[in-house]
Amino acid sequence: MTVAAGIGYTLLALGPSLSLFIAVIAKKPFLILTLLSSTLVWLISLIVLSGLWRAFLPFKTGSLWPCTLIILTSVAFQEALRPLFWKIYKLEDILDAFADRVSKPRLFITDKMQIALAGGMGHGVAHAVFFCLSLLTPAFGPGTYYVEKCSQMSFFLVSAVIALAFVTIHTLSMVIAFNGYAEGNKVDQYFVPAVHLIAAMLTLVNLAQGGCIIGIPLLYIMALLTMGHCGKMVWRRLTEIRSRQGSSF
Amino acid sequence: MLMDTHAYGSSTFQGKLVVQVDPSREKVVAPIVRYKSADELLKSAAVLVSIDEFEILLSRLSKDLDFAGKVAGILVESRTEVSNGLKGFSPDGKFPQAEFAPYQSNNFTWNPPGSGIMWKAYNFPVFLLSRTSTLILQEVVMKNEKTKKSNTENVAEFNVVMQTTKSGTHDSDSCLKEETCLPLGGYSVWSALPPINISSSQKSKPVIVTMTSMDSASFFRDKSLGADSPISGLITLLAAVDALSYLDGLDELNKQLVFVVLTGESWGYLGTRRFVLEADQHSDSVRGLDFAMIETVMEIGSVGKGLSNGVKTFYSHTSGDTLATNETFQALLRAQDSLKTESIKISMASTSNPGVPPSSLMTFLRKKSQISGVVLEDFDTSFTNKFYHSHLDDLSNVNSSAIVTAASLVARTLYLLANDQNASAINAINVNASLVEELLGCLLNCKPGSSCELMKHYISPSATCPSHYVGVILGEPSSVPYPAYVSDVSRFVWNFLASKTSIFSRNITSACPNDCNGVGELCIREEADGKGICVISTTRYVPAYSTRLKYESGSWTVLPYNSSEEMSAADPVWTESNWDTISLRVYKVQNTAYDGLILLSGIVVTVLTYLLILITRAFIRKALKWD
Repeated sequence: MTVAAGIGYTLLALGPSLSLFIAVIAKKPFLILTLLSSTLVWLISLIVLSGLWRAFLPFKTGSLWPCTLIILTSVAFQEALRPLFWKIYKLEDILDAFADRVSKPRLFITDKMQIALAGGMGHGVAHAVFFCLSLLTPAFGPGTYYVEKCSQMSFFLVSAVIALAFVTIHTLSMVIAFNGYAEGNKVDQYFVPAVHLIAAMLTLVNLAQGGCIIGIPLLYIMALLTMGHCGKMVWRRLTEIRSRQGSSF
Repeated sequence: MLMDTHAYGSSTFQGKLVVQVDPSREKVVAPIVRYKSADELLKSAAVLVSIDEFEILLSRLSKDLDFAGKVAGILVESRTEVSNGLKGFSPDGKFPQAEFAPYQSNNFTWNPPGSGIMWKAYNFPVFLLSRTSTLILQEVVMKNEKTKKSNTENVAEFNVVMQTTKSGTHDSDSCLKEETCLPLGGYSVWSALPPINISSSQKSKPVIVTMTSMDSASFFRDKSLGADSPISGLITLLAAVDALSYLDGLDELNKQLVFVVLTGESWGYLGTRRFVLEADQHSDSVRGLDFAMIETVMEIGSVGKGLSNGVKTFYSHTSGDTLATNETFQALLRAQDSLKTESIKISMASTSNPGVPPSSLMTFLRKKSQISGVVLEDFDTSFTNKFYHSHLDDLSNVNSSAIVTAASLVARTLYLLANDQNASAINAINVNASLVEELLGCLLNCKPGSSCELMKHYISPSATCPSHYVGVILGEPSSVPYPAYVSDVSRFVWNFLASKTSIFSRNITSACPNDCNGVGELCIREEADGKGICVISTTRYVPAYSTRLKYESGSWTVLPYNSSEEMSAADPVWTESNWDTISLRVYKVQNTAYDGLILLSGIVVTVLTYLLILITRAFIRKALKWD
């Protein structure tokens, strides 16, 4: 499909991440480090999972029960890692202590959210690179490829679109989750794993003939849901702080 | 191949799919359509055609130039098991290589199905598909026909770049000068049974020459099996030599038996003409063989189809001195009689034939008209082989029992001729039928192919699937060529004949080639084991290439027409272009508008996200400053 199409697919999957990187993350080195370490942690989790699952290979690709099991265990593992990741990033306490010592302002709520955003984006970018970008190399050549079960869109388009949805979900989930752990808000804490699990299970719909026509819109509904919930949560926190500031005067 | 007079890029090469011609300088990509005789092509296309309609398509292309201009390439399906409807297919002419005949009747039809398509010029590639590729492409074409309006289509990409086309050298003379091509040729093998003692003071015996050829040609270079024509003859000769080698008292025979296996015969009788020229020049490669002592020549032609209604039928086509040829025919009849258990019928060929059929003997006679000769064939007035010089002349086209019988006949006939018709030991001559079966498997089948036990006993083959295309001459032609420059079949024949006609030179088999330099000594089976066996044998390679070529200081030159050499005017001086890789790929493409749309949507998504982030950030800042 030529270089033009290849670049198009790459931008579809990773363009928004690129925009986010340029607009927010590139300005603060600490965020870049957070992004990279979060990417690494996510990749390591995948390697561990693949090591565990190696013992059960091979099985027929596209068979429902094994795929379901893999998705369940993978999501469970990654969600278990999330609070651990947060505990490590309680080094925001360390940052606060450091700030006190040098008489600089402490981390503001938006700073903490940005750290969470960078962490989430790390997960999302790793997902996109692993599950979409690595498959895109043939897209830069002269040919294209259509999967039998989804004959409406080329395989590369489907990969890119799904990757975009997951990038959104992962990026915003981390913000919600960190906030949930910080506040002790159970709704937020359970929202994130639930959304991750449902989104992952929705990809199983693509196994059916023509399933991608239903599966992909549903996936985007989950992404929009995450976006909405995140926005609501951020608005709530900001108004809380404003009212606290207001009441302290 | 390029001819001397005009070019037609019939360039061929190694590869599973084979191409006939291509003058393109770069890759050619075109959508695939099936050939239907009424169809008009709207734009450039790769045409998928079955073998039944192939000749019709090609003849339409030569008449309808508008149609021809839109053909980017042709894909020929392989024959399916069920298509017994194909009566005959032969891309060679109706009288193959008529210009080399020693008689005038150029319109005698030896090859009725002959269409002559392999000698015409085409300026697009033609690929022969394997069975699996045929099925895949048939499916692809069906899909192409269904989804005519969508934004994707299946295309074929032909990557066939010939150096002669790229450099603009369109005939043999110029391409040899520019070194963008190499001349066709190979190495013929001759062997004497028993070995000739050159230094002996004994009067040399009269010689009986038995010859055959080992190369074939077809429209598709890598599918030139030539099972009936001429490999059945080659196997017959090898089996006959094997049978005769077990005879006692070969030294006491009154005549010397010599066996010659020629190559390059399909491309202007390169083997025969060069052989005769080297003999005239008394060169090293024919040392020991005195042409003046040749009494008679027996050529083994196509014998693989000599089975009709359970009776093995062969014909003897003769030329020359009737006394000598009569003697040969009598010997053949006596040999037939001695094989009591089989039903065999040998006849003289019809007198209405203008002369001998297309064969090496034909050319031999033009050079040495005084020699009498016989060609043993399985046909009388026209070829029984309906697939002469085509890719369909394969193992299923020959019958092993016919070959075994032919070999028995030849071996016993040679014994009778060499022993002045004395039949004392005739029943000791028996052809090994399992050897014939093995040779059929080695030379005409991919499994086991060249990696069969028999061939690996003598050589280490370079390829498994056999192909009997003559190939090009690499390096300097010589009687002791570098083994890597000699084809698998030539090396096998040399080692086989040397082994069968040999006398062990010493009691202890010492490793050669170090210790094997005595007179008449040869090192055989050198590649097979790493160390060879030193024997006494008269087996030599004779280069086979056009008599109009000369190799001088690293390059080839075409000599001008030599009016004293009769056949040089007819010699086309075939060459093969140099080539890099040849490939055919089939894949789906999207149209460029769709590609552009994808790129645009990617950019839009990126930019929109950026704007969204900026708006969100401004919103949050504003919200935080609301005090």
